[in-house]
Amino acid sequence: MTGIESMKTWKERQHSFDLEDRNKAAVTGLVFDIQRFAVHDGGGIRTLVFLKGCPLSCRWCQNPESMSPRPEIMRIPHLCIGCVKCVAECPDQAIRFREGGTVTIDRAVCSLCGECVERCYAGSMTIVGRYMTVGDVMAEVERDRPFYTTSQGGVTFSGGEPTMQPEFLIAALKEAHARGLHTAIETCAQVSRETWAAVIEHVDLILTDIKHMDSARHKELTGVSNGRILGNLKMAANMGKNLRIRVPLIPGCNDGPENILATSEFVGSLGAAVEGLDILPYHRLGEPKWAQLDREYPLHGVLPLDREEVLAVKRLAEKNLGNVTIGG
Amino acid sequence: MTKNPPVVVIPQLVGPSDRIKRVLDRFVNTAPEICAERAVLITESYKETEGRPMPVRRAAALDKILSGMSIFIQDDEIVVGNQCSMPRSAPIFPEFSCQWVEEELDRLEKRTADVFLISEETKKKLRSAFEYWKGRTTNEIASQLMPAEALEAHNDVVYTVGNYFYNGVGHISADYAKVMNKGLDVIIAEAQAELDKLDFTDPEQLTKMHFLKSVIMANTAVIKFAKRFSDLAKSMAGKCKDKARKAELLEISRICAKVPAKPAETFQEALQSFWFVHLVIQIESNGHSISPMRFDQYMNPFYKADSIGSEKAQEMLDLLWVKFAELNKVRDESSTMAFAGYPMFMNLIVGGVRRDGSDATNDMSFLVLQAGANTKLYAPSLSIRIHEGTPDALYKKAAELSRMGMGYPAYYNDRVIIPALLARGLEREDARDYGIIGCVEPQVGGKTEGWHDAAFFNMAKIIELCLNDGVDKRTGKQIGPKSGRLEDFKSFDDLMASYAVQTEYFVRLMAAADNAVDMTHAKHCPLPFLSSLVADCIAEGRSLQEGGAHYNFTGPQGVGVANAGDSLTAVRKLVFDEKKLTLEELREVLETDFEGREDIRQMLLNRAPKYGNDNDYADDIAREAALVYCREVDRYTNPRGGKFQPGLYPASANVPLGSVVTATPDGRKAWTPLADGVSPISGCDTCGPTASVLSVAKLDHEIASNGTLLNQKFHPSAIEGDKGLENLKSVTETYFQNGGFHVQYNVISRETLEEAQANPEKYKGLVVRVAGYSAFFTALDKSLQDDIIARTEQTF
Repeated sequence: MTGIESMKTWKERQHSFDLEDRNKAAVTGLVFDIQRFAVHDGGGIRTLVFLKGCPLSCRWCQNPESMSPRPEIMRIPHLCIGCVKCVAECPDQAIRFREGGTVTIDRAVCSLCGECVERCYAGSMTIVGRYMTVGDVMAEVERDRPFYTTSQGGVTFSGGEPTMQPEFLIAALKEAHARGLHTAIETCAQVSRETWAAVIEHVDLILTDIKHMDSARHKELTGVSNGRILGNLKMAANMGKNLRIRVPLIPGCNDGPENILATSEFVGSLGAAVEGLDILPYHRLGEPKWAQLDREYPLHGVLPLDREEVLAVKRLAEKNLGNVTIGG
Repeated sequence: MTKNPPVVVIPQLVGPSDRIKRVLDRFVNTAPEICAERAVLITESYKETEGRPMPVRRAAALDKILSGMSIFIQDDEIVVGNQCSMPRSAPIFPEFSCQWVEEELDRLEKRTADVFLISEETKKKLRSAFEYWKGRTTNEIASQLMPAEALEAHNDVVYTVGNYFYNGVGHISADYAKVMNKGLDVIIAEAQAELDKLDFTDPEQLTKMHFLKSVIMANTAVIKFAKRFSDLAKSMAGKCKDKARKAELLEISRICAKVPAKPAETFQEALQSFWFVHLVIQIESNGHSISPMRFDQYMNPFYKADSIGSEKAQEMLDLLWVKFAELNKVRDESSTMAFAGYPMFMNLIVGGVRRDGSDATNDMSFLVLQAGANTKLYAPSLSIRIHEGTPDALYKKAAELSRMGMGYPAYYNDRVIIPALLARGLEREDARDYGIIGCVEPQVGGKTEGWHDAAFFNMAKIIELCLNDGVDKRTGKQIGPKSGRLEDFKSFDDLMASYAVQTEYFVRLMAAADNAVDMTHAKHCPLPFLSSLVADCIAEGRSLQEGGAHYNFTGPQGVGVANAGDSLTAVRKLVFDEKKLTLEELREVLETDFEGREDIRQMLLNRAPKYGNDNDYADDIAREAALVYCREVDRYTNPRGGKFQPGLYPASANVPLGSVVTATPDGRKAWTPLADGVSPISGCDTCGPTASVLSVAKLDHEIASNGTLLNQKFHPSAIEGDKGLENLKSVTETYFQNGGFHVQYNVISRETLEEAQANPEKYKGLVVRVAGYSAFFTALDKSLQDDIIARTEQTF
């Protein structure tokens, strides 16, 4: 037995939270999840690093805990065993236990001290986001290296929007390349041209969404217009970067035939750099997380499309494009 | 050996024919029954042969059964030969044990798993037969032979030697190829030649005489049995109005008159010869896990020499697969809890390397996998050997089959298993020629008496005993050595020392218990037919049971590696390292099964690292916990002159073994199941399949040469499309490059997800893979889980 404790795994990091981590000597990024064996986020078996913070506020966001660029408290109610240690230990008295078992958090008062996280053995009380160095992230990414070799996989930085933390992202991408890893990013491309150019220099595959082709509608749905996004995609295509374009297919938002045709036409115009278009059918799996953050889900009550509807969209997109798939 | 996979041409593969669909339909609509014929016939025979040498009595009994039992040929059958008076029915083997059968006769129709119909007439016949066996069964004799404390530890389920204590041994692969290529006539001639050489004045040679005579009697009985089918087919043909069927029956009649006595020539002859051997082994003794092993290797030459084409050959194979599934065995009710689904564990393997080290893939490898896909039956158990030169095409075919969700094929790693067998003394070519017995046990066929399921050793019970000074908390009895009380341990090393003391003591008793059972089989239940098909029994003049095989082993399994490892890890981390918990507190919560202290249970579950997450802290301790067991087992020798060799797999014993163990420091509640095989505890592998297999690969799989078992679950979303097949291959390949032994995949079904809804704790690690999304299945609310369940069987 070695008896040597190795570097903390991502999972072990969830047992405690320290806001001071952001003041480490090296550059840090705010990471809200690291998922191994990701198989829909670039080729092969990959490790998916989720960076926190996003310039968009898409109404269907499946990772609402990623939107804010700061750590935030989140409570998963069904894991709670009712020990109320969180209430007792909170120095800010931000956590209240109500009759009938509901727990409320006063987010304005919470100082993110992490006491409740440490005491909640069941994992119901969490703080989303950990400040990590590139080295911390790479230690986790390296663990699945053998799988990247046998499956032609690698590392994918996702979000949130990874380019919101450009310094950290570029450092991490460079480090991954230096270690011989294939790199991908999942990005909304809403970022300055300069940053975009600096980031994609170190990226082997860009996975990016087109939410809507109509700029005004895009703004209604996501909070920003689409000019910069489409411009950045053209730039990447002109640079010959590998692109996979994805359309999150949201009922009543962007699934009309006109938009599908316009999207596929635009993607076609990007030329050979685009290796394919993925249709990502709407799902509701993010909804509980909105509630866990005390936020209201804008698409509450919207049901997923059925298989036939999704296939119809695929056929429509295929009028302009060869390689259209469903799912990543 | 080439590192570059050879180019293989995939034979044309066809789906199930109409004939197969009819036969499968008939199969699923046939209810298993109990058949009394074998029990009645063997009892009569034993009464007739009192006082004669035991091998001769066994051969005479086999002859009586094969001559007297009902035989039939069903519509559409091409390969013929039945085990009982009705298809899917189970015979009774009173010579091994029958007390439980008698006690449970009225329950067989009423129990929840593996129900057997039984008529009042059959019950009457059985009760009358059982009278003769009181005090004469191998079970009763072996329990007299066992040291009292070894029997007690078995009864307390520190280990269980139940398999061979109550049943025949089975767990073997005969030399099928020899029968197909040379015929039983040649085996009879070999036995006669040995007989002719004997000097009867030498007492030892006189003993050999009885065995060799029994071989001739048994083989002659089998040839007569085949002849009965020839006659039956002929008479059926005479009455058959359908021209095509009439021709088939006449062909069956011709073939059964020829094989297995003479060498097979056509593909159908080879299948028929194979089947008679496989069938009679089941009738002679009631052991399960009689394994055909490298079927593609010995069957392919007959296929290639025949001009029937792949379509016809596929249909014959598919029909044979149904014959496999028709073989049946009745187990006692408590065993059915662990072995539900009428399993016979007949392992059939394809691929790997040849005896010369080159890739062994051939047409039959593909046809065999296709037969699994066409029949979707639970038998035979399909396996595939993987080496550096396994062709992509075969890998892909196997992955497609895995994805169908039947749980097979199981994958085996030549790169670990061949060296492991070499280290156990197998000659190089024999090691390369290995196949798999039963669940996961490697051996070379036709040369080995491996006694692979010798015992299940309860590693979680050892945890209980090592924390409690050797006291069984369930019964309050002092059953182990006084190795220290929990609150006396000053360091983690003290705890490990206590674990080692208890393991050493009980492995020793287990070895004694196994050897007592082994000696009983040798003296009271030699098997002349089976022995004649395993080298060197004829040359040595000794039955398998007396050590006549070329290689001899005894393989007891450790069960609950993850529970033992995670329990030790939790104590080390939370008590000794972090001092979050005192030993007194720990003892208290374990004694009260965490009553009112769910917070501490959550601490044990979530704040100590768990095996299965690629966390070295936990993985190193799990490895050590397994090694302590494996090294102890390594020390012992069996009465057949062979070595003990450890395995780490549970069959399904993790359920009954868990039912006697109190709460453990891994956060497991009292009396609940243990982890399965070398798999992590269900729900504790929360970092996904890559982390899980890297953890498991850290165990020493080479020392556990009797086999280790990893079940890996996937949600269909993770393995959809061609990309999914590649990912499945990558997981297998990486596990094997890192030293894994065996892996099989379960595709999560609607039922599993529904269970995860009901028992979220056991499925904490279950991730539904969606692009760019982050959450666990159990973190979703009910309506969303329902969405996923609805999508599970309909992946886009």
